[in-house]
Amino acid sequence: MYKQLAERFGGGLAAGIIAMIAIWLLGMVILPQLLMVDYSFRPNLLPSEIGGPKDSYSLINYETLFNNSIHLSIFFKTIWSSVLVTFLTLLVSYPLAYYLAKVATPKQAALCILLLIIPFWINEILRTFSWYIILAYKGPLNALLLALGWIDRPVRFLSGDGGVMIGMVYAYILFMIFPLYNAIESLDLNQIKAARNLGAGWIRTHYRVIIPHAKPGIATGCIMTFMLAAGSYAVPALLGSPGSRWFTQIIYNWFFEGGNWNQGAAYAFLLLILCIGFIALIMKIFKVGLGDIAK
Amino acid sequence: MSLPGNYSVVNWGEMMDSSVHLDNVVMRFGHFTAVQKTDLKIESGEFFSFLGPSGCGKTTILNMISGFLDPTEGAVHIGGRDMRSVPANKRPTSMIFQNLALFPLMTVAENIEFGLEVRGVKKAERKKASDRLLELVALSGSGKKKVSELSGGQKQRIAIARALAVEPQVLLLDEPLSALDLKLRQHMRAELKEIQRKTGITFIYITHDQGEALTMSDRVAVMSAGKLQQVADPITLYREPATAFAASFVGENNGLKGTVKSVDNGQAVIDCGPLGIFPGKQVGNISVGEQATLFIRPEQISINQSNQSAHIEAKIEEINFEGSYLTLNANTDCDRSLSVQISSEQYTDALVPGARTTLSFRPEDAVIIAGGDHV
Repeated sequence: MYKQLAERFGGGLAAGIIAMIAIWLLGMVILPQLLMVDYSFRPNLLPSEIGGPKDSYSLINYETLFNNSIHLSIFFKTIWSSVLVTFLTLLVSYPLAYYLAKVATPKQAALCILLLIIPFWINEILRTFSWYIILAYKGPLNALLLALGWIDRPVRFLSGDGGVMIGMVYAYILFMIFPLYNAIESLDLNQIKAARNLGAGWIRTHYRVIIPHAKPGIATGCIMTFMLAAGSYAVPALLGSPGSRWFTQIIYNWFFEGGNWNQGAAYAFLLLILCIGFIALIMKIFKVGLGDIAK
Repeated sequence: MSLPGNYSVVNWGEMMDSSVHLDNVVMRFGHFTAVQKTDLKIESGEFFSFLGPSGCGKTTILNMISGFLDPTEGAVHIGGRDMRSVPANKRPTSMIFQNLALFPLMTVAENIEFGLEVRGVKKAERKKASDRLLELVALSGSGKKKVSELSGGQKQRIAIARALAVEPQVLLLDEPLSALDLKLRQHMRAELKEIQRKTGITFIYITHDQGEALTMSDRVAVMSAGKLQQVADPITLYREPATAFAASFVGENNGLKGTVKSVDNGQAVIDCGPLGIFPGKQVGNISVGEQATLFIRPEQISINQSNQSAHIEAKIEEINFEGSYLTLNANTDCDRSLSVQISSEQYTDALVPGARTTLSFRPEDAVIIAGGDHV
């Protein structure tokens, strides 16, 4: 890399650019992470005790999670709910992505994509707040459902995980739609016609021809959505109730309310490990490699 | 490729009505008419080709037969059945796509068996069928291969096998040979014809290559701008073109424009201005004073034979030796270039570029057709 840059910009500038990248990577990414790893293995001590005899490495912070049944259940709830959010987002996004990629005229597709993107020009907190209003007990959604006669009494969307799920599916839909759209778009229309021509109905055409082709896109979308859902703070904080806490909220509490960074760091790493595990699992299920996803 | 003599995946021999009737179909896309009103009956077991330049509407016709498009007007009947309410996946047709559209993520056998899988055929029976079809296309034992491992010609054959696996009444072929090199293309022509003979199903073939259409087809429909120009067997099409388009599109032809001078009992005379006045066979309705074109094939023009009635003086510009025959480009005195084909035996040393010669043809070999502006 240095050689190419040096040919273009000369030795001095090339060295400067590389140094900046190195400093950025080291100072902003690697060192803070290492510091957190370091934190996570140390006990939470008073400033005067740091460096003293009590300051030794141990797994105690990691063990805390497994000894605290409430935290553990929230941990697994977070995973399960994130899987559910991912699945729901896939369910909602796939038909739309298929429509955009293969059914809509270029004009319709452009309009549709614009309509999808416009709400994302607004800050995530505000968007989530708007869902808070929509889903409120005396909010417009309940009013609509009551007026239609579909429900007899207002539904408490915001107690339990329902509100969080709705908010997350909405918040991360673009991260699912675009990888799906890209994958489906690259499928030759004649493949679909060939399947139809050989007698396949729509369901079989999708699951034998279109979905296998779109697999890398599905995997990418699922991984992104899952990571974002599992690591989301704003949506559960705003749309969740005390009964539907997210693991990120607990991490936050350790850092900023408990003042125990060591404990928070350990929790954060457990979440990270879990997410990596999930990615590996998804890649195995969909039989895709890293190269497919990077496409 | 030699076919196993007793080949039969299905009882194709049974006399089944697999005719296709385009019953006054019209296809419009917005204001654009892709196919003008067409009424055509393709017989059971016929090898029928639609021949025309790209954009003439031939693929649209194929899409209407297969059910990918619904005609704006009229109806398609297959085997006497109105197909209007039959969706693409329920029609007794099978298509071979221009780019073949094999499923790249399935093996060769899975590709062939796909249509049977859809129909709920058991695995063992599917395997039997795909084995037999692989034998038919001379690729026995390739079932487990990936599609990407096959050569162009092999992919072509797998596409044929996949289309035949569902036992279609009608096989639709959308320029299936256009991606192959010349040699393979000629070989596949013979194979397709052979498969058609063996199976006896109706083949509907789309092509812009007149060579393919003429060599394989029982009948050819020449299309231009969404309109059927002529439907005829290849020999009639070549010898007796019905329209100026058919005359110029099918085979090599020389077109001489002029004004009709007289029409009498199937014979017409055309005035081509400074070129001369020539007699020829009248085709269709032409009337005196109308703009028309006289068509004469390169091989019907003789050189230096004064006993024929129509003469044109010209200068040889170019001679190409093609083996059994020679092609000449001759320029008339009023700067109209004509293509002439003579057999190699007629060659003499006097035929050199720049030499003057007399071109002549028999009136019964020439046709005079109204119009012909695009020639």
